[in-house]
Amino acid sequence: MIPSAWLKRLLLVAGLAVLAAMPALVGEYPLNLIITMIIYSLFALSYNVLFGQAGLLSFGHAAYFGVGAYTSILLFKKLGLSLLPGILGAGLAGGILGVILGLFVVRLGGTYFALLTLAFNALIYAGAEKWRGLTGGEDGVAAMRPDLYIPFLGDVEMFSTVHWYYFVLIVVLLCTWFCWHFTRTPLGRLNECLRENEDRARFIGYNVYLSKVAVNVISAFFAGLAGGMAGAFQEFVTVTFINLDKATDVLIMTFVGGSGTFWGPILGACFLTYLNQILSDLTEHWTLIQGIIFVLLVMYAPQGLSGLLISLKDRFWSARAQKLSPAAKGEG
Amino acid sequence: MDTLAALPVQALHGLVYGMLLFLVASGLTLIFGMMGVLNFAHGALYMMGAYFSWSILQWTGHFWLSLLVAPLVVALAGVIIERFFLRKVHSYGHAHELLLTFGMAYIIEELVKIFWGNEPLLVVLPSLLAGSIPLLGTQYPVYRLFILGVSLVVFILMFFVLYKTRAGIIVRAAVANKRMVGALGFNVPLVFLVLFGMGAWLAGLAGVIGGPYLITNPAMASTIIIDLFVVVVVGGLGSIQGALIASLLIGQLQSIGILILPQFAIFFEFLLMALVLIFRPHGLLGESK
Repeated sequence: MIPSAWLKRLLLVAGLAVLAAMPALVGEYPLNLIITMIIYSLFALSYNVLFGQAGLLSFGHAAYFGVGAYTSILLFKKLGLSLLPGILGAGLAGGILGVILGLFVVRLGGTYFALLTLAFNALIYAGAEKWRGLTGGEDGVAAMRPDLYIPFLGDVEMFSTVHWYYFVLIVVLLCTWFCWHFTRTPLGRLNECLRENEDRARFIGYNVYLSKVAVNVISAFFAGLAGGMAGAFQEFVTVTFINLDKATDVLIMTFVGGSGTFWGPILGACFLTYLNQILSDLTEHWTLIQGIIFVLLVMYAPQGLSGLLISLKDRFWSARAQKLSPAAKGEG
Repeated sequence: MDTLAALPVQALHGLVYGMLLFLVASGLTLIFGMMGVLNFAHGALYMMGAYFSWSILQWTGHFWLSLLVAPLVVALAGVIIERFFLRKVHSYGHAHELLLTFGMAYIIEELVKIFWGNEPLLVVLPSLLAGSIPLLGTQYPVYRLFILGVSLVVFILMFFVLYKTRAGIIVRAAVANKRMVGALGFNVPLVFLVLFGMGAWLAGLAGVIGGPYLITNPAMASTIIIDLFVVVVVGGLGSIQGALIASLLIGQLQSIGILILPQFAIFFEFLLMALVLIFRPHGLLGESK
């Protein structure tokens, strides 16, 4: 039923090769779109650590993303840090916020988590809006993307889109690798156990509360990292990085892609970013279409696009009972 | 000295907003208590009330007619959402129901932007409600007193229905234990449908009277939803008395906060929420289940 392991590996290598060759294949403008897709893939991936794996429905993931974005820009601007420390600082800021908010939001599960994450996101948003001295309020704050310092090699300038593309790609691939590995660690497995049966995990003797905080921190770290790169990409951060729309965007991306598979959120982030790009040129009601897609999936395909693709693949597989064309796997 | 003199007026402002908030929150918390559904679209229903009433006012010119009709249309919309959307995903669990109502809220907000535009709409009030009268040493807008009056009347009616009628007993019993109510032979899905419609009616009514006061604009749903969620957390999920206390508290915190520390007024309600979470995680009057 499943393609053999070497076929999977072949697909992975082919995919990486295409990603590596991307700047030679497409022009400047599509490359910018692809960078956006990659950054949002990481954001959605971090979101799914909570939503898909731990079963925690968050309406406040923009808090970590936005704080990461502000942190990287401010580190570039006020401290003159180079690229990598600035981005790592963004991840750390997200992680620290993940500890603080995590202590509050995971105390009560289920619906409370959704309520509280939304309320705390609103609080952080209000903070960003009011603390004008630091964040510039609604005007935002701007800083140039600094060079990347590599030991023994010196500075690599990041003004070029191609350089920047490779930087983002490598960071996100490393994070993806880590997130994938995380699902196989004891904490990652416990995470899924919490989703399936929290009481049982408690009876076995796990500290459910602290595990949830830890998972929240990991998720927040990667969201902060994604935010830091999004800020550095735009070289400008404003309150739109941290508002409720940003928080619901990542929820929609993850759900549309499918929270049940590891690569679903990546698929969702790429699909919706791309659709957003082509449809917002054609119609101003793009967000309505996005909402309708979302509701239809909630009602008829709760496993999202990746779930649809898998069931499609299974159908082809059983119908033909022979070699499967890789077409059903999509570009995810 | 000025601050002190303005205190009673600000407290009255706070009471007006608190009562309005309670009208919306009461339906939300009862629905949650009964079916465990956090209705994300509740804020959107409130917004629909404001917009429908604006349109009815445009067509007919009768404010009182819009006060009567618009909440009924919103109630119908609520019934449709429950019957044809929410019920379909009920078997998938609460997270799915929440996602569905979130999606409905999203769509309603976009539709409002398409039909009525992004700009705030001005509601022309009937002359009876337009002026202001001397009160507490200042000129107080009659309309705010009208909001207070309407919400008090609805509030009294609601408590009467909930605590003195058979229908109210069934609803309260279903909130406490819906399985037992079902076992006694009541049609729980029907009770829930009616409750959902009533909640939508209340939200729509709050939208109609709140629209001219809080400005009819496409962001009014997402603005009130944050206050609503804080009310539900502070009051305790499913507790109507808790929702009342929390709504009034938040009304006061906002209006008095603006008077004392204008820069930080917005943070007070979050501070209250954090304190409640630390010391009474299930809310002021909520029960831990």
